[in-house]
Amino acid sequence: MNSMLYIAKRDIKSIVFSPVFLMVSSLCTFLWSFSYIKSLIQFAFNSSAPKVFNSVTVSLHQGVVTGHISLVNMVFIFVVPALTMKLICEEKNRRTYDLLMTSPVSSCQIIMGKYIAGLGASLLLLFISILYPLLSGLISEVNYSLVFSSYLGLTLMTFVYVAIGLLSSSMTRSLLLSVIMGVVFNLGLWFLSQGSTSSDNDVFIAVMEHMSVGDHLFGFVKGTFRWSSFIYFLSLSALFVFLSERVLESSRWR
Amino acid sequence: MIEVTQLTKKYGERKAIDNLNFSIQAGSVVGFLGPNGAGKSTTMKILSGYMPATSGVARISDLDVFENPLAVKSMIGYLPEVPPVYEDMYVQDYLRFVAHLKNVSSENIVSYVGEALEKTQLETVKNRWVGNLSKGYKQRVGIAGALVSKPKVLILDEPTVGLDPNQVQEIRSLILNLKGDHTLLISTHILSEVQATCERVIIINEGSIVVQDTLENLTQKNDTPKSYEVEVLRDEDKLKKNLNQLPGVIKITPMSSGFEIHIDSEQLSGEQLSGHIVGSGSGLVGFRAGKSPGLESIFQRLTHRKRRQDKQGASE
Repeated sequence: MNSMLYIAKRDIKSIVFSPVFLMVSSLCTFLWSFSYIKSLIQFAFNSSAPKVFNSVTVSLHQGVVTGHISLVNMVFIFVVPALTMKLICEEKNRRTYDLLMTSPVSSCQIIMGKYIAGLGASLLLLFISILYPLLSGLISEVNYSLVFSSYLGLTLMTFVYVAIGLLSSSMTRSLLLSVIMGVVFNLGLWFLSQGSTSSDNDVFIAVMEHMSVGDHLFGFVKGTFRWSSFIYFLSLSALFVFLSERVLESSRWR
Repeated sequence: MIEVTQLTKKYGERKAIDNLNFSIQAGSVVGFLGPNGAGKSTTMKILSGYMPATSGVARISDLDVFENPLAVKSMIGYLPEVPPVYEDMYVQDYLRFVAHLKNVSSENIVSYVGEALEKTQLETVKNRWVGNLSKGYKQRVGIAGALVSKPKVLILDEPTVGLDPNQVQEIRSLILNLKGDHTLLISTHILSEVQATCERVIIINEGSIVVQDTLENLTQKNDTPKSYEVEVLRDEDKLKKNLNQLPGVIKITPMSSGFEIHIDSEQLSGEQLSGHIVGSGSGLVGFRAGKSPGLESIFQRLTHRKRRQDKQGASE
């Protein structure tokens, strides 16, 4: 247990104090700031415009926060693999992998330590993104429960992205390939639900729709908390973490 | 302390090591010698718990490496060929991290790290980034990492590879200082390193052990001259022809003055040979034993012999 936390502590420091993290967080902050302020100005303009007959009133959550969450999610599809690429891949390249494999630490502890580190760095970035809707409360009325529900969904989604990033990192020695594989897996997960449109089979369509991350995530964004979604995200993360552990363990046998 | 029985490792169909058997007493320093690709690193990786063997048993302190990997790993300090150091850490932080990984209790961490720094003479660079250190210092950091948990067994895989002569000397003195505190298994293909640091040698070639003995025994056994330099006054050609017929004479090579006879010492002794030359009436004026073989020639002979035998077997 302790060894796992020491691995996590070392790796989180290594990620957060790396130039990649600084660059990524700066770019994300710039992008989110630009997009959020633009949406906020647009929302303010629409709200102050005279009401037309039958027009629907849009809340700040619908008009600004939902768009922000979609953007954060989209950015995370590409950014999380860049943050997690080093986790195992670089250990192999720098031969520090030998130290881990010959220390009294199980593969499970190594993987969990790495996973916690990747999660910590990604959640730090997610924390920066939540500041936008929270600070909007200073100038407008914000439905905080919806914001927190949405971010619970995004946090669970990040759990999955990090697990996928970890698996990609464990499968190759090339940092670039690790990022590419991570992005492809993340996108694949989002496009999985598209499979339902290509079939007439009701069971297949139901399964594919249940597998769709979009439906589960936007349930949280709408404020509808479902245990099935919660279990879905956690089991998906556990699956990818388990696969990473298997890849790591299999390297002993090759 | 270390006991290896019928250890075999296959990579696909290829056998990296084949049926190795050896044991190492506690506190001894053993050199694991062999040419590149002989199976040294594979054996060391198996002993350190990095990978399992295909068959056979490896025990450290009576514990099976495969059945009790975590217990065995906490008794071992392993330095691979490339030191496993994190370049983005300070030397002291790196050693603390390794000590935590090796299950050193929190109250002992400071003293253990301090001792490792002292033994490896890294105190002056303890607050420097590992990435900024020279290759020799990185190697020291790797050794410090291997011994920070005060392991019973230290396995060092080619600890001086790629270092300059001064750094090699420093690492050798460091290894000599570690004698007595740990059981040391040092893999290398540098023979002078074994002579400088080890008491016992295991020579491995193409996955099999070709010899294992103390350094003293090995050189003594091979101390019997294998060649004699001969000078005669007359009938040199006739004598050479006669000697060539003699059982135990391998070959005769000409020298600037006289010739050299290479013999199989099990079939023919120097005394018999000199008696034969005197009896031939060629006027023996010089008879000197050739140079006795050092570890280098023993190593070359042992590692080449197997190759020759394999070639012969293949041609038959």
